[in-house]
Amino acid sequence: MTQPGRVPDRGSARPPIRVVLVDDHRMFRTGVRAELTEAMSGAAAVCEFVGEAPDVDTAVTVIRRDRPDVVLLDVHLPGGSGNGGVDVIRGCAGVESTTGGPVRFLALSVSDAAEDVIAVIRAGARGYVTKTIGANDLVTAIRRVADGDAVFSPRLAGFVLDAFGAAAGEIAEVDEELDRLSAREREVMRLIARGYQYKEVAKELYISVKTVETHVSSVLRKLQLSNRHELTAWAMGRRLL
Amino acid sequence: MPTPYEYAPASAGPAAARSDLPPVERAEPHAVPERLPLVRDRSGGWTPGVCGAIARHLGVSRRLVRWVFVLLALAGGVGIPAYIFLWALTPEEDLDGTGVPDGPVEARVSPERRRWALVLIGGAGLVLLGGVLLTPVIGGSLRDSVLLPLLVIALGAIVAWSNLDEAKRSRWLGGGGRGAGWMRLALGLALALTGILVLVTRGQSLTAVWDALFAAVAVLVGVLIVAAPWAVRLWGDFRREQVAAARATERADIAAHLHDSVLQTLALIQRKSADPASVTRLARAQERELRSWLYAGPQGSQESLAAAVTEVAHEIEDLHGVPVDLVVTGDRPFEQHGAALSRAMREALLNAVRHGRPPVTAYVEIGPNGVEAFVRDRGDGFDLDTVPEDRLGVRQSVLGRMERHGGSARVRHRDDGTEVELCLPALEGVPE
Repeated sequence: MTQPGRVPDRGSARPPIRVVLVDDHRMFRTGVRAELTEAMSGAAAVCEFVGEAPDVDTAVTVIRRDRPDVVLLDVHLPGGSGNGGVDVIRGCAGVESTTGGPVRFLALSVSDAAEDVIAVIRAGARGYVTKTIGANDLVTAIRRVADGDAVFSPRLAGFVLDAFGAAAGEIAEVDEELDRLSAREREVMRLIARGYQYKEVAKELYISVKTVETHVSSVLRKLQLSNRHELTAWAMGRRLL
Repeated sequence: MPTPYEYAPASAGPAAARSDLPPVERAEPHAVPERLPLVRDRSGGWTPGVCGAIARHLGVSRRLVRWVFVLLALAGGVGIPAYIFLWALTPEEDLDGTGVPDGPVEARVSPERRRWALVLIGGAGLVLLGGVLLTPVIGGSLRDSVLLPLLVIALGAIVAWSNLDEAKRSRWLGGGGRGAGWMRLALGLALALTGILVLVTRGQSLTAVWDALFAAVAVLVGVLIVAAPWAVRLWGDFRREQVAAARATERADIAAHLHDSVLQTLALIQRKSADPASVTRLARAQERELRSWLYAGPQGSQESLAAAVTEVAHEIEDLHGVPVDLVVTGDRPFEQHGAALSRAMREALLNAVRHGRPPVTAYVEIGPNGVEAFVRDRGDGFDLDTVPEDRLGVRQSVLGRMERHGGSARVRHRDDGTEVELCLPALEGVPE
């Protein structure tokens, strides 16, 4: 999933990331917009807002029309078939951004209930952050998602450790195993759960930031594809499969 | 300072729950005296709880009351209408099963039911036999007798009505009625119908009876066909109303909760808008409260270690108004070692919010191989040699406490903050 020839920091040469903001609270949309604009002032514009939408149906229309790079997506939204953000991701399946890559979704929510997290991630979101995230962290997260990497909050990492039984000592024999984490992935998840940034994780484990990103993306893939009982139970309970 | 998450070895929970049990257990057998009633005794007393109720009410033996009724019934038949009136008018209450022998509920109830059915059938048979034997003696012919069909009708009605006693009715309407209830209703209906048929076809030939029976069934079927849509709609309306009422209650609950919590906090925030620190604290506390109400997070610090450390983090947040991002995976019962860990973690968190810089993050991993807790802040870090005395003391207390409970503690100083690491071995193999 990671773009192979990607340079970690493309600097100002890179065109701004086109972002669509989907949230049913106008106040929140305005707030995020203002915060991000402020956070990016001074430096070259990392991202530009190309549109926003208050509900599922508008969101699908806007995303199909504007073809952004990243969609900041609220988990709970009115409209659609009642699944909020999941419906938006489903409705935009196959849409490509103007730069040719797939449209990527970063879930943004006030809820950190496990079933909400698992639903949007399994629907295809590349990350999950809570709405209390700071502006600078949000910019970093948007950039990371635009690059095809995954964004894990400490809570999501904790949930992954729980759901994959890694906290209980279950470790995959081979990296390809979908139902368990590898020892390295477990270490990375543990450090993220402890509040470490990716570069701090890299420093702690003596690996490169890129390797950390690879591990996190691999965990995200397992989270999306695994049939592990704990994951599917939640999804089944909400009739997502 | 005693904190709410201090370890309390007394298992108050299960004990309290146990003391709740007996009334629940007894609620079922209490229905027995109301069912026993249909026992037709040799003494001639039907007791649908009436005698029992009077006996309880007057504080005399039930047998005495029965005998009084029998005597009254024999003395000109006064007892019978009196009994029926009392039966109809005496309300049913939730009493403890006074006079009901103690014993396993399941073992008692079902034989009771079976015996009841046997006695009922036997009683019906006796009534019929008595009627048949009696009519020629009185001088009438069996065909002309009015008494017999009336008795049968009465019996059927009683059997059917007994279904509708208070406790039964709710279960019945709630759709939880068991086969026994329906059987009883069918039996009662059959008896009453037979009685009516016999009554109206008195003095006629058997073919006429069959014709009448056929006609009656036809009419009944017709009535059912006509009435069914109405009944179905009525039933549907009834269910809808029930659902609507449940929804209204739920909405009222939510409204009450929001009023008590969120609205009050919002009012407080408006009044304290000049003080950003307390606004943040209020908002954070309210957010947490609402979240735990909505998503029903861990509650009850005496129950589990995860709940205890969550409570510790919340307490620190409330005390200092600094958000603590806590992530907990796994869980285990709360015991004294876990209590030590949660207290050491409290010290570490206090340090972090006092001396470090936010964001303060904490991660607790509770696994089969032990517990690991990490508390991290973004302070400038500090030199061990220049640590003030009180802080070293805190460190000692954290360290010492963990070691006393078979664990370990480590303080790591990084250029971008401090991380305290607490470890506790697995529950098994810990020296008590």
